[in-house]
Amino acid sequence: MSRMLKLAAAASVVTLLPVTFSVAAAENLKVVASFSIIADFAKNVGGDRVDIATLVGPNGDAHVYEPKPADAAEVGSADVVLVNGLQFEGFLQRLVEASATKAPVVELTKGGEVLRNTEEEDHHEDKAAAGKEGHAGEADEGHEEGHHHHGESDPHAWQSVHNAEVYVKNIADAFCAADKAGCDTYRLNAESYGEQLEALEEEIKATIAEVPEDKRMIITSHDAFGYFEHEYGIKFLAPEGVSTESEASAADVAALIKQIRQDKASAIFVENVTNPRLIEQIASETGLKVGGELYSDALSDENGPAATYIEMMRHNITVIKGAIVGS
Amino acid sequence: MRTNWASATAIALLLCLSSAAHAEEVTAWRLFISDHAEPKVTVIDAVDGGKLDTFRIKGPASLHRSESGRTVFAVQGAAGVVTGIASGISFEDHGEHGDIDVEAPKLAGVEIAGGKPSHFVEHNGDFAAFFDGEGAARIISEKAVLEGKSDFREMKTDAPQHGVAVAYGSYVLLSEPNREKPDELPVGIRVADEAGAQVGGFHACPDLHGEASSGNVLAFACATGLLVVTHGDGTPAIRHLPYPHSLPHGKTTTLTGGRGLQYFLGNFGADKVVLIDPTVESDAFRLISLPTRRVHFAVDPVRAKFAYVFTEDGQLHQLDVVKGEIANSLKLTDPYSMDGHWSDPRPRVAVAGDRIVVTDPLRGVLHLVDATSFEKTGDIAVEGKPFNIVSVGGSGQTHEGE
Ligand SMILES: [Zn+2]
Repeated sequence: MSRMLKLAAAASVVTLLPVTFSVAAAENLKVVASFSIIADFAKNVGGDRVDIATLVGPNGDAHVYEPKPADAAEVGSADVVLVNGLQFEGFLQRLVEASATKAPVVELTKGGEVLRNTEEEDHHEDKAAAGKEGHAGEADEGHEEGHHHHGESDPHAWQSVHNAEVYVKNIADAFCAADKAGCDTYRLNAESYGEQLEALEEEIKATIAEVPEDKRMIITSHDAFGYFEHEYGIKFLAPEGVSTESEASAADVAALIKQIRQDKASAIFVENVTNPRLIEQIASETGLKVGGELYSDALSDENGPAATYIEMMRHNITVIKGAIVGS
Repeated sequence: MRTNWASATAIALLLCLSSAAHAEEVTAWRLFISDHAEPKVTVIDAVDGGKLDTFRIKGPASLHRSESGRTVFAVQGAAGVVTGIASGISFEDHGEHGDIDVEAPKLAGVEIAGGKPSHFVEHNGDFAAFFDGEGAARIISEKAVLEGKSDFREMKTDAPQHGVAVAYGSYVLLSEPNREKPDELPVGIRVADEAGAQVGGFHACPDLHGEASSGNVLAFACATGLLVVTHGDGTPAIRHLPYPHSLPHGKTTTLTGGRGLQYFLGNFGADKVVLIDPTVESDAFRLISLPTRRVHFAVDPVRAKFAYVFTEDGQLHQLDVVKGEIANSLKLTDPYSMDGHWSDPRPRVAVAGDRIVVTDPLRGVLHLVDATSFEKTGDIAVEGKPFNIVSVGGSGQTHEGE
């Protein structure tokens, strides 16, 4: 399609950004993705019609990310900004304000199945239990505040492949709105990537089916796998809540260790976005062996085992299954 | 930290309205102003301009506010004492909304005495006052100050120096005196554990002067670049970020840290400032020329995109830290030449919510500038020579029946 035609089509649709867009239309669509997993989805949908800048890169922790002036400049000159939403990107509002961007900021979890953060109550129960053992005290208070801080929804929706398909559909919609000329391409790309996601989901279910049901409780650093648990039936426990922002209290850790012993957790894993020390400590206290590294909130770099979303999910189930039943 | 969020979270506000029917939104801002000649701190209500109180202290002071805003410190170099003041404003974070508690400001009842206190640094609720005359740091927590307890611990360096200390979790970062030339600036940083034993090597930082935090990064300014401190694996991780060859000859000697966006703003020579992204290896430094020599600068904790620089021609400049350029300039005072002694009375800048406040010591007023329109909106007269200034406050909920 000619550039002129693309420009004309776009200008009629995106009335909010006539200036930005008339410049950008001759070029690729400028997309900012808040973190690596979204960037991978965007790459699959946008193909070579889009240029993607990623704010929180491989192995980065978006929960505690601190945006730089350069990020604000990037967002300020973007045509589309793709974010997770559900308060995953704690920095988002400040960044969008500082950027003064006129681009749509698209929350990709919109329309997805969103889980309430029930882990929060679990933690409180844990704390009450720990309190009876004499661990209660002022140290807990800060942590409790931290927990409340993160809203009521669990933001890690991409850990359900079904939700990943919603992300992809939302990205295609956003790209179509910003670049009508490319819409057919985006829809086709989204469809074929969607087929890969469906195959991935079958693969995950088949792999989990090989794990005995009484061995499906495992430990990670933070509550990043609620959606995985909900969809695929592996129970995840973690010392930290749905955000890595607040550190686990001694009482949380004590309660978790007690629960691991009582309920016989099968395996324990470090995460790529968090410091492994706490997990190593819990492993040594419970006699569980660290079964490997799971990719929770970010992809690996290009050379790592989880450079794309599909590789990440495959890597995670392979590592989980391997640690529980052997590979 | 509350100021970052106070006016920012529209979503949180909506939740507040629905979940707390009896809550009332309250905004309170206070200005703490020291005098260039008199031993006093004046407290002014920045919302209505009225004077709340005047605290007599022992000598002219420079002022520091804590990250939480609950405490203000008057560092009285010549009088040899650091005085803690409870600001009277505190916030409690309930996630979906923040509660504000407003009481009268008062002297906290904590004084830390020693020879020539100068640099004063907070890290995560621990304050370290460095006493140049002794080469020693005294460290106290905000909790202790607010309880009126002078419970400080002490860390000593080898010699008197114009130094600095930072209480960094269970470690302390201490400047290293220049042994050959004791009158000159420190030469680097050492890390000590709680018992005072050195951890790791020596981190060279010639002419160390100026330190600041932005988010989870702490930095010291050196003649050669910045020392950048982050949370390492257990112990603090310290690396040197050199000035690039593209910068002219010069160095940073005063540093402040971005709020809401992570960056550092420093002087670079007399008539330039530099914006620094401490997390990158290349293009970390952006140099911005000023029309005349710099008097003072401050970051905007609410509008993360802006910082403010006051220059000797009496102008306040709005610096866009995203674009790296001066966006607006506003003439506020008569010229304040940078000729003469560095500690002569000259304007200082603070941001109180939607207002930028600039002291004008020779005229005895505070100039108020609307932070959104960048236009002057008024003056507040202050007796004497209003000099150093900090602001404390924000918005929050108060609940009936509590
Ligand atoms: Zn997470």
